[in-house]
Amino acid sequence: MQGGSGLSGRREGADGRRWRALQQALIVATVYGLPVIFVLVPLLTFLVYSFFWVEGGAMHYSLSLQNYLRFFAGEAFFRVFWQTILLCLGVAAMATLVAYPVAYFLTGIKGRMKSTLVMLILVPLLMSYIIKIYALRSILGANGLLNQLLMGLGLIDTPSSFFVFNLNAVMLTQLALLIPFAVLPILLSLERIPRNLLEASTDLGAGGGQTFLWVILPMSLPGVVAAATFVFVLAIGDFLTPQMVGGQAGFTFGRIVYSQFGIAFNWPFGAALSVILMGVIVIAIVVGARYGSSRRGTA
Amino acid sequence: MIRINNRFLSVLGAAAVSALLAAPPAQAKELRIMSWQGYADDDWVKEFEEKTGADVEVVFIASDDEIWAKMMGSEGKDFDIFAVNSAQLQRYIDAGLTTPIDLAAIPNQQATLPRFSNLTKVQGITRDGKVHAIPFAFDASGGLIYDKDKVQPTPTSMSILWDPKYQGKVLAYDNGEYNFSFTALVMGFPDPFNLSPEQYEQIKAKLIALKSNVLTFYTNMDDGTQIYQNNDVALIWANFGRLQVKAMEAAGANIGYIIPSEGALAWLDTWALTSGVKEKELAEQWINFLLDKKISAQMSERTGYGNTVTETDVANPDDKLIYVEPVENPTLRSDLWNEIKAAP
Repeated sequence: MQGGSGLSGRREGADGRRWRALQQALIVATVYGLPVIFVLVPLLTFLVYSFFWVEGGAMHYSLSLQNYLRFFAGEAFFRVFWQTILLCLGVAAMATLVAYPVAYFLTGIKGRMKSTLVMLILVPLLMSYIIKIYALRSILGANGLLNQLLMGLGLIDTPSSFFVFNLNAVMLTQLALLIPFAVLPILLSLERIPRNLLEASTDLGAGGGQTFLWVILPMSLPGVVAAATFVFVLAIGDFLTPQMVGGQAGFTFGRIVYSQFGIAFNWPFGAALSVILMGVIVIAIVVGARYGSSRRGTA
Repeated sequence: MIRINNRFLSVLGAAAVSALLAAPPAQAKELRIMSWQGYADDDWVKEFEEKTGADVEVVFIASDDEIWAKMMGSEGKDFDIFAVNSAQLQRYIDAGLTTPIDLAAIPNQQATLPRFSNLTKVQGITRDGKVHAIPFAFDASGGLIYDKDKVQPTPTSMSILWDPKYQGKVLAYDNGEYNFSFTALVMGFPDPFNLSPEQYEQIKAKLIALKSNVLTFYTNMDDGTQIYQNNDVALIWANFGRLQVKAMEAAGANIGYIIPSEGALAWLDTWALTSGVKEKELAEQWINFLLDKKISAQMSERTGYGNTVTETDVANPDDKLIYVEPVENPTLRSDLWNEIKAAP
């Protein structure tokens, strides 16, 4: 069919209807097709790859559980896995603790000042991730800004190696990188609390502290859970920060996954490790979503 | 001269060139070169074209995998000559993608530095008495950089990396394959690229011991320089050789560089003829032309790599360079390296 006859289909009703139906089908195919092609198919490919195996540098395309068995039997990998989960839970908790007062402070500000401040919190997200890590690493280094500051204040005599090339460094760097992601969900949930509920609380004789503890905090918990989930998921998938500031002690699960795709050329094992990591992420999101929504239901 | 960078264009280009060549009766000879950047510069190509009256077509490649793909894809027929690393060369010889070289056609080869003139003594270049490639450029990729203020006297061996004096001041490189190879050299194992299971165990323990001295593992040259600037670093396993020394000196570092007495890992790039070579004589003339003192010295000047004709500061004549060979099991090395990094 030529495009012209379709477009002039108004003259012939049946033709026009067919054209519209085709358009409809195209739109539906696009809406469902794109996610399938670009999300579902790659994920399924990964899943299938995780059951292949590599021996002597050659890939074997027969299904086997050996990649998963290797992970659960290998003591070293399993320990790193737990260590990574604990690290990221720590990062999520601390990021939320820091972000809450920031978001709370922002809800108390009005107008242009507020949008400017929110913009300032978001500006770091526009910068390249790797440049931020480089910058943070030079701040945390033995000759870095932080050590010079502490020495200038007389708090320490010699440069401390506490802040760089260990797990502290990974935690601090991820915190700095991910705090903006924690501020936003909390800010949104705080702003959704109706003013009249706060007024009612005051009318009933509650002080500022009581209102916060019994009204604001419970009602903002879905945002807190969302923030923590966000940060946890972003932190656990990160392999660059541990690589760049973790030193010899900061070996994380993401780095093991990453290493399977270079010289090792063990894509199936890397895929299996990714599937395990994805399992953790899905659990985190499901827990986060359920907690968040049940709270909203009672509120 | 025709110069094409893109793989797709090169196919089109080759087709177009052959179509053109088919038309005129008196055609100039054509030399088809596949090369790394820096090994077939414009001015050399022009000079060679003037000297021989031939047309030269250069296609630049960016990775070992790309050379392999191009050679396998055309069964060696798309090019007459290609630049290839000596470690990589082995699989081309195995696959029958090379043509042995006639040394009589390359008189300049006799005038190369003593350690390159006897090709049977260069690892991996000859097979069954036939010469499959001619060395052209090399660099030590595993020397030792030391901070002159912090390390005295001048170290002579990589074993200094394990010296407890430098706890937390050692910058190591994040590559399991190389780390196993250089530690094998430190421990005096004869073949660092083919290790026995017992040797693997010993090296693994030795590398875990190294960790307590290591500040961190760096991944590229800039990474290493930045860590050095912001932290207390005394010793660096220098994967990028002289280039890394130059970059760090430019950043104001007071450092020295040695090739350790047990030998440094190094790479060697060579020229080899393809199995589909059409202009064998011309290709051998090209190698002879590049082994000219002037051209080889220019290559070193421009790239910072060593050449095989004139001495450079890349290595002293008696320095022990161990040209990297394919290791027996890269997957095993990478797995063990992960276990070493994961060790508490």
